[in-house]
Amino acid sequence: MTVAASIGRKLLGLPEAAAIALRMKADHYFDVIRALLDTFATKKSLDAIYVTSTIPSASIINALEVLEVPLDHIYFVDSISQIMMSSGQKHPHAIFVESPTMLENLMLKVEFLIRKTQDRHNVVILDSINSLAIHNNTKILSEFLHILVNNLRSKEAYTVIFSMEEYETEEIRNMLNLVSDETLQVEE
Amino acid sequence: MAPPEREKPEDRARCVTGIDGLDSILSGGIPRGNTVLVTGSVGTGKTSLCLEFLVHGALAGENSLFISATEASDKLLQNIIPYDFFDRKLIKDGRLVFLDFRVIYDRLGLEKTEFDFEEINILIRALGNLVDELKVKRLVIDSITSVCYRLKTQENIRDFILKLGSMLSSRGCTSLLVSEISPAEERYSLHGVEEAIADGVLVTGNLERRGDLLRTIQVVKMRGTAHSRAKYVLDLTTVGVLLVPLLKGGSVPTGGA
Repeated sequence: MTVAASIGRKLLGLPEAAAIALRMKADHYFDVIRALLDTFATKKSLDAIYVTSTIPSASIINALEVLEVPLDHIYFVDSISQIMMSSGQKHPHAIFVESPTMLENLMLKVEFLIRKTQDRHNVVILDSINSLAIHNNTKILSEFLHILVNNLRSKEAYTVIFSMEEYETEEIRNMLNLVSDETLQVEE
Repeated sequence: MAPPEREKPEDRARCVTGIDGLDSILSGGIPRGNTVLVTGSVGTGKTSLCLEFLVHGALAGENSLFISATEASDKLLQNIIPYDFFDRKLIKDGRLVFLDFRVIYDRLGLEKTEFDFEEINILIRALGNLVDELKVKRLVIDSITSVCYRLKTQENIRDFILKLGSMLSSRGCTSLLVSEISPAEERYSLHGVEEAIADGVLVTGNLERRGDLLRTIQVVKMRGTAHSRAKYVLDLTTVGVLLVPLLKGGSVPTGGA
């Protein structure tokens, strides 16, 4: 079974509005994104809100287009492009936050997109806890996750938090255990 | 004799602002008839907040009036058109009315740059007539600071705000008075009088945290309701003003990045 098929099967079995920590190796990154968006946006008919602080939304959008993943129900909150001073064409489904340190603004943009896409339920994908930990201290990051996950749960939205095994620390593991209902390990 | 029972906050009728986060902070909305000072420095979202308050009121069937002393009405209109929930029909139907203070002064023949006691009364009466004529239930004056410039003394300002608040409250009109302060100001209004008289004080600001500038809002005072006094971060969007709590971990200088 491929990585994408294996993770897709696990995701389909999740309870409603669950908060999931998704642990993976960096090698599996795009397989996981594909499986995740296929499961939630296509099979479960949810609007996906992809919060990126790892790579610019334009790069993810390019990769999704190559993988022929439809973007109709996928929206991006991009907190890394502006800090990288990257210019270029802005995708209509991408909104920007100046920096990954503006955690409140990440929450506000997620809230904005939830209100804009009221027809369907949502899944919010946080990519990733490791890159957010580069820019924020543990205290504020824990507080952010706690508020965000509980807020999303009250809106019956799924939360998926990416964690790259190679960059995990004890503090990150504790944080994920605290806010997640389940931890899924991506394996070959 | 037993002391009179204090009015329970939940007993007061509410003027639901329509701004979800703010209504939640205020336990359901502004107590109806309250006069609230909305104070902050430039670019902190005071006018946007007030405009949204009026649009939601008009949509709910309450006649709403915006009196501007700073910007022309057509320029203000450009600020509310992007709202997803704005309907031009509100203006056409007279539910949402914009007026310039300059026009009011002209009609009243108040041409002096300094108002005396009698002229304050003339202005209050004129505002009262406007509220009656238009059956206004929500009023915004943007800004009260520019009116106070003409009142000069603290006594006159106190007298004006007291009379204005009392006139509006007796008509069941909930009002927001915009006050402009400089970022370094340690009080909530230019003359330090308005906040003491108003029923509520809502402070907007810019918070700098490690080089990031966040727009914040805080309800410092609101008579007639229990409310949060915490600071929130706000965003001005096409779906309206959105609020989230200010993360406090940011103010703790611990390790990490």
